[in-house]
Amino acid sequence: MAAFKHFQNMYDISLKPRLLRSLIRDHLPDEKHPFPRPSELSIVVSAIKTHGLLFESCREPVDPKQVDNWKTAIDAWVERLLLLASSKMPDKCWAGICLLGLTCQDCSSDRFLASYSVWFQKLVAQIQPPSASHFVKVASCASLADLFTRLGGFSNLKKDGTSHAGKLIQPILELLSDDSSEAVWEGAVDLLRSILIYFPASVHRHYDTVEAIIVSRIMSEKCSATISKFVYCLALLPKSKGDEVSWSLMMQKILISINAHLDDAFQGLEEETKSNEVIRHLVPPGKEPPPPLGGQPMSGEASNQATKASEQFILHRVSLLVCSCCTMLTNPYTIQVTIPVRPLLALVRRVLMVDGSLSQALLPFFTVIQQESICSDLPLLHLCTLDLLTAIIKGVRSQLLPHAADVVRLLTEYFRRCALPALRIKVYSIMRVLLISMGVGMALYLAQEVTNNAIIDLDFIAYGWGRASYNPNSKATTEALHQPSHRKRKHSTITASFQVQQSGVGREVETVKNKQVTPIAVQIAALQALEALLTVGGALRSESWRSNLDLLLITVATNAYDGEWANEEKGISVLSFEPNCTWAEFQLAALRALLASFLSPSRVRPRYLSDGLELFRRGKQEIGTKLAEFCAHALLALEVLIHPRSLPLVDISSRSQGEFVSSFDHRLPENLFSVSQKNNNCTFPGDILVMDDPELDDDLYSSWLGNGEETDVPMSVPDKQLRSAQELCGKDVWQATGDCLAEKILSDSTGALFLMEGDGGATGAAHMEIGGNGNVIMTESEQVQEIVRNNDVEAQDKDIVISTGSFTLIEGKPKKGKAESNRIYASKVATTISSFSVVNGMDSSDPVAAAATAKSTPAQGGLITTLISEKGRGLSLEYNTDASMDSFPDIVDGDPDSD
Amino acid sequence: MEVVIASSPVDAGIGCWDLHSGAEQLRYRSCTSTPHGLACVGQRFLASSQLRDSSSSSGSILYWSWSKPQVEVKSFPAEPIHPLVSNSDGMYIIGGGSSGAIYFWEVASGRLLKRWHAHYRAVTCLFLSDDESLLVSGAEDGCIRVWSLFMVFDDIGMEMAKNPYEYSFSEHTLRVTDMVSGYGGCNAIIVSASEDRTCKVWSLSRGKLLRSIDFPSIIEAVALDPGEHVFYAGARDGKIYIASINAETTSSNSYGKHIIGTLSDNSKGVTCLAFSKDGILLVSGSEDGTIRVWDAKTHNIVRIYRLAKGPVNNVLVVRRPLYSNRQTSENSHSSFSRRHAPLLPPPLGKYVNSTDENVDSGAVSVPQTPSSDIMDAPYLSYHVLTKQISELQVFFIFLS
Repeated sequence: MAAFKHFQNMYDISLKPRLLRSLIRDHLPDEKHPFPRPSELSIVVSAIKTHGLLFESCREPVDPKQVDNWKTAIDAWVERLLLLASSKMPDKCWAGICLLGLTCQDCSSDRFLASYSVWFQKLVAQIQPPSASHFVKVASCASLADLFTRLGGFSNLKKDGTSHAGKLIQPILELLSDDSSEAVWEGAVDLLRSILIYFPASVHRHYDTVEAIIVSRIMSEKCSATISKFVYCLALLPKSKGDEVSWSLMMQKILISINAHLDDAFQGLEEETKSNEVIRHLVPPGKEPPPPLGGQPMSGEASNQATKASEQFILHRVSLLVCSCCTMLTNPYTIQVTIPVRPLLALVRRVLMVDGSLSQALLPFFTVIQQESICSDLPLLHLCTLDLLTAIIKGVRSQLLPHAADVVRLLTEYFRRCALPALRIKVYSIMRVLLISMGVGMALYLAQEVTNNAIIDLDFIAYGWGRASYNPNSKATTEALHQPSHRKRKHSTITASFQVQQSGVGREVETVKNKQVTPIAVQIAALQALEALLTVGGALRSESWRSNLDLLLITVATNAYDGEWANEEKGISVLSFEPNCTWAEFQLAALRALLASFLSPSRVRPRYLSDGLELFRRGKQEIGTKLAEFCAHALLALEVLIHPRSLPLVDISSRSQGEFVSSFDHRLPENLFSVSQKNNNCTFPGDILVMDDPELDDDLYSSWLGNGEETDVPMSVPDKQLRSAQELCGKDVWQATGDCLAEKILSDSTGALFLMEGDGGATGAAHMEIGGNGNVIMTESEQVQEIVRNNDVEAQDKDIVISTGSFTLIEGKPKKGKAESNRIYASKVATTISSFSVVNGMDSSDPVAAAATAKSTPAQGGLITTLISEKGRGLSLEYNTDASMDSFPDIVDGDPDSD
Repeated sequence: MEVVIASSPVDAGIGCWDLHSGAEQLRYRSCTSTPHGLACVGQRFLASSQLRDSSSSSGSILYWSWSKPQVEVKSFPAEPIHPLVSNSDGMYIIGGGSSGAIYFWEVASGRLLKRWHAHYRAVTCLFLSDDESLLVSGAEDGCIRVWSLFMVFDDIGMEMAKNPYEYSFSEHTLRVTDMVSGYGGCNAIIVSASEDRTCKVWSLSRGKLLRSIDFPSIIEAVALDPGEHVFYAGARDGKIYIASINAETTSSNSYGKHIIGTLSDNSKGVTCLAFSKDGILLVSGSEDGTIRVWDAKTHNIVRIYRLAKGPVNNVLVVRRPLYSNRQTSENSHSSFSRRHAPLLPPPLGKYVNSTDENVDSGAVSVPQTPSSDIMDAPYLSYHVLTKQISELQVFFIFLS
């Protein structure tokens, strides 16, 4: 290479071989040069990684000469590495092996396939006895693991890989059973894991030995960081056989072993029968129990002697074995297996039921020290067990259904007693998983429990006596954000909700008073659980908790904001006990839950929507934070609440007779649907389906348009009536939003449309009036909100009748009458009745039509129908002749049921 | 591949057509299905409850795998099963019996997990809500009930609850012929059709009737426009009526209030309806043995398939896994796909076995794609190398 042939730039391909050669020359040792400082090696590694010196491929086609040049440079590199790897000097050998591992990872596929078996031989030699240095052993294990990881990517080489890996098992087992250093074990177990993942079949022959060695490591009293890797390998082990029996057997063995350990640990803390319960599920009566885990006797008298000495390790071992179960449950397996749900759940129940309390009879036999040691270890065990419960839920998926009620009962029971932050966080997260995966049925079960607990955990932040003392402004902020009228309501609700709690939960309220603050992490978990609850089950049977929850969430979010959003990077958390949970995360969780509260369907418009929008707007200004990203998303999601639209899913305009056009069968001479469209022009949103003008697809747009054009059209109805009708609509639309039907419409103006079309006198003018009403509603929304707030559920329920049309005429009346006779919401009822008669007016304005409507429900029985239709005629007459407010009381009086 | 499958009460087998190309696929033999008695279980295989002559007391449910025309598994439940549904992952099959009982089977083991008395008369249709936690059943006496599956399996909660069901609607006076549910989880609407010539729209969240629509003829089938502006009601008079769900309409047109149009081909009665996934193609089955595919936008017929001389009583639009396709096109590969096609589960049990309470419930974990493993095992040597280098450096500093 000419010394003056310069490179184009730093991306130039001819740079790479040159760099590589310089590295080989300057930084790598060879036979003559001694090993440089280890930092030299890191220069080499970083250069190789940064410039991709071993890739041997580039994006754009280049001169083959340069490719050749690169190739020979890498040839030289590999040659040097192999030379180093066979060196007698341990440091040179180590460098060669390490870099060979890197080469396995980075080099081109062709090169790897051509030379991996040579490299394999080189590396294997280093983990076998003659090699003395631990350093070299660890490095060779890592390099071999990478070799297999790379090899696992080539699906056509499974067989070859398996045979290579098979040669390694024996040496690995020797490394593991040697009483050598921890680092070597770690390297060996990592290698074993790679082999189990990519070439499990190679372990088949040594299955029992591998199991025994792994188990003996887990059972040994040395606790260390690497132990979790052994646990993981144990869970992967059944893959080497790949059949259902070995998976089930392993699971069974582990469970029996856990149970035996628990027998030792829980002596005196629970009833003796608990242990048998698990065993009964695991080993059906009359069947032989499987051989013990790892081939050594774990239970029985002999082991009791041994384990007694190491009591403090029992619970630690149990948690390791539980971890192994979790891995088995959540990791994919090659074929379908039967998960022993019952014993698993029995085991979970057994552990969670033990809280360290002693039965009275056993007090004399138990020293305080014994109890202390058990109690100090129990939380960790509970944590593992809750993890196991999560794994069970994940593993069995929809098949949890038959056991779901059991799980929920266990969990809620546990939740009531659970007081440690870490455990509460776990329980919240399990509830979240359950809610999201099992849907509304689960929400019906869990709603009350989640709400009660979350209110307790969030109380101080919600009601100001925790954070408020820290920041005196926060309360003022809250008050400023709420209108005075809201505040009154709010406080009453708070007291109400607390009364509910006190009667419902009782004991916890006492503890709440003593508790200073709930850790932020727990509060975040509580908010996330609430978010899940609202996401899944906000609408069904939610009356009892929904309004409290909405209030709680806006209060929490408002207080969380307290004037400024926390800086995510700073990570300052005044109240946090855990370093990784910051105030910023709490704010994010609060806003997420708030969004769910707005979006979750309910019968009225979200009460605190404008407060919430303000929070999201301010949050969005925190540029570059997760919070801002989320707020932008929230504003987008809430836009449809402000501008409701009900667009058809099938967009006609954009699909211009696409793929099916050739196969259309034009046998229908005339399109009936479009004919009907001509008849009743634009009177309902459904018509959008057939509209030709693409602009009319947007019903919101068309309603705006209609609004503008037709304001000056003379009213065909007396002013007074129109005004009353407008008032009616203003009120009723909001009640109508309560019912599902109107939510479907999702549109204030459309909602008005659908009520107003009932106006029989103004069929032609119906559409433009609607536009007008839409406006009224928008501006009157505050007042309307107020009305709805004072409204109670009972009164709202009546309004459903409005939407159900002619049929409910029959049964709607008695209902009205009852409400009237109660005279509780007299004014309200009058309103509903008047609106009712407006709707009726449409059916009955034309006497013939009224009769026809009545007759069209023959199933309802003759007598009543005719009676009603008679009444309808009278009604309509009154309506038509004197269409003023005065006529409505007459109608009410005319109803025999109303008084 | 999206396919239309259809069956008939007369023995014409289960027809299967590619929805988009129109090509007929394999025809699965010897099926005389009940109305709503055809289900595709987790996309893995087809199941159908069979009409039985009145003399036999037990029912019959048959399985077909995608790749073979013959019946592969036969089950004989304790009584004739009419409607049949499966949950989306195919773990459960739920059937409605002629006595009014609902049967809940676990597919993998075939065990009857639950049987409960749901209605006083025969169950006519069943469906699962969006999140598959609620089951809605309709009966011959016009009763519609909404069940929480959790409640059904919670014996303790069941005893404490006032009613075993969440809702019971009795506004229909005659047999419920079909039901569909809309989008929105617990806030969805349900549309039901009945022999009393009405269709009723219900709110699931409030448990209330929202709208009742009278039709000129008995409605046998309903399908919901995915945008939920309208629903399609297949009637015995051969028309498919289009009725609006939420908007108020004038009663000026000839069919009646809320009915805004029809799809009509002057054919015999419409017995079943199904929407394709894209929400444009509407598939209808007719008493004359044909299946029509309509374009819901233009109201034109796109395609007509012929199943049998007798009536069609089930149509479904399902996604069919591709591996089985290979076999139908090339018979030479049949051995290949037989090896790869999963085996069908055992037949469904007859009775709830109370003695095996202690035996494992047989939950089965489905193997997942092992791709997630790759993420679990990153390359190690780089980390080991850097760790060792830093250890060595400490050593060197110590030496010097």
